[in-house]
Amino acid sequence: MKKYFIYLLFVSSLLAHPHTFIDVYPTIKIENGKAKKIQFIWKIDEMTSSILILDVDTDGDEKISSKENEFIKNNYFTIFEDYHFYTYIRVNGKVIPFPQTKNFKATIEKHRVCYKFEIEGDFNMKNTVIEVGDTDFYVALVIKQEFLNVQGMKAIATGVDNDFYYGYKVEFK
Amino acid sequence: MEYYSQFMQYLVSYQYELNRYIATTIRSLDDENSLMTSLAILGIAFLYGLVHAIGPGHGKALVALYFTSNKSDYKKAFKMGYLISIIHAFSALVFTFGIFFILKTMFRRNFDQFSDIAMQISAVMIISVGMYLIYEAYKSRKEKEKKLIKSNKSETAVAFSAGIVPCPGVMTIVLFCIVLGHYTLAILSAISMSIGMGLTISVAGILSIAFNKKAGSFMDGKTYILEMIGGSLVLLLGTFLFLGTMR
Repeated sequence: MKKYFIYLLFVSSLLAHPHTFIDVYPTIKIENGKAKKIQFIWKIDEMTSSILILDVDTDGDEKISSKENEFIKNNYFTIFEDYHFYTYIRVNGKVIPFPQTKNFKATIEKHRVCYKFEIEGDFNMKNTVIEVGDTDFYVALVIKQEFLNVQGMKAIATGVDNDFYYGYKVEFK
Repeated sequence: MEYYSQFMQYLVSYQYELNRYIATTIRSLDDENSLMTSLAILGIAFLYGLVHAIGPGHGKALVALYFTSNKSDYKKAFKMGYLISIIHAFSALVFTFGIFFILKTMFRRNFDQFSDIAMQISAVMIISVGMYLIYEAYKSRKEKEKKLIKSNKSETAVAFSAGIVPCPGVMTIVLFCIVLGHYTLAILSAISMSIGMGLTISVAGILSIAFNKKAGSFMDGKTYILEMIGGSLVLLLGTFLFLGTMR
């Protein structure tokens, strides 16, 4: 099933337009304009989730055990390293290398597979913009204003057209 | 570019909403509401196919290039658009059902091989069509625009080239229906989605024919240049697709 999933990724990169939709929920606690940690929750669309669940929820209980979590992390999550987790952190306009992800946890919520993970750093949020988007346009990542959970600064989510794909960005004021 | 950007945004938003709606509706299907809900699902699948095929891919470029490099009529564009979408949906159905009922245990091991072969066949066919179009353009130049009797072979080849790679969008819906045990709905949804996609692909062909007619009168007897460019682009498309399977 993993190969089926990767095949969908591959074929769709040739037939580029979104086939998978991911709602991205960022959580950031900002103190004095700085954040030490950014947490993301990806909520994968129900149809794609059904394919994933077939392979990862081996006992069929609609819950992810620690063993299943490890399997998802190694087989379905780390593959996104090559895609920078579809996330670009711009500091003063320049994209910085995507930090190592930590505390990965997968869950199933209302038939949707969710990935929760964190990145750590010393982020000066005044100069920082978070962008999400898949350059191959296979995955459409969506950040709506109501998905944001930001404390300490005002955050605004807007759509970004990048010619070959459509993404979203979050700015802080 | 601003209009294009807005158009893209709408396109993604509609697909996002349709994707959610179709999933929720299929899941809500039960014995009591089966007929009306099934009809609603098929209606949404049609719309999803229509919008889905507007994005890049699904053979529109190939169809557009083919009709740019060939004098044809609108009926043929419709025929080809629907032939592509039928092959597209059929190949998605065969692949997806194959996973579950025929190759369930073997599939993990062999899937890469199967998908690569399908892609390579498609690429080789596209390259052949490109070469054929260039040859036809060269011949047409030689014969000074003398009317050529062309067979339908090249059109069928174009349809097969573009349609043989299964559509991941159709595969996802089919698989989702199978997982929930709605096998008939899986097949009907694929058909409904392909009707929507066929309409979009046909429009791409019709626009190309209209462009060809305009450009043809403008170029006054030198349409072979347009045909050669179209054929070369088809050839390039096939080459890139083939190289893609080698990575």
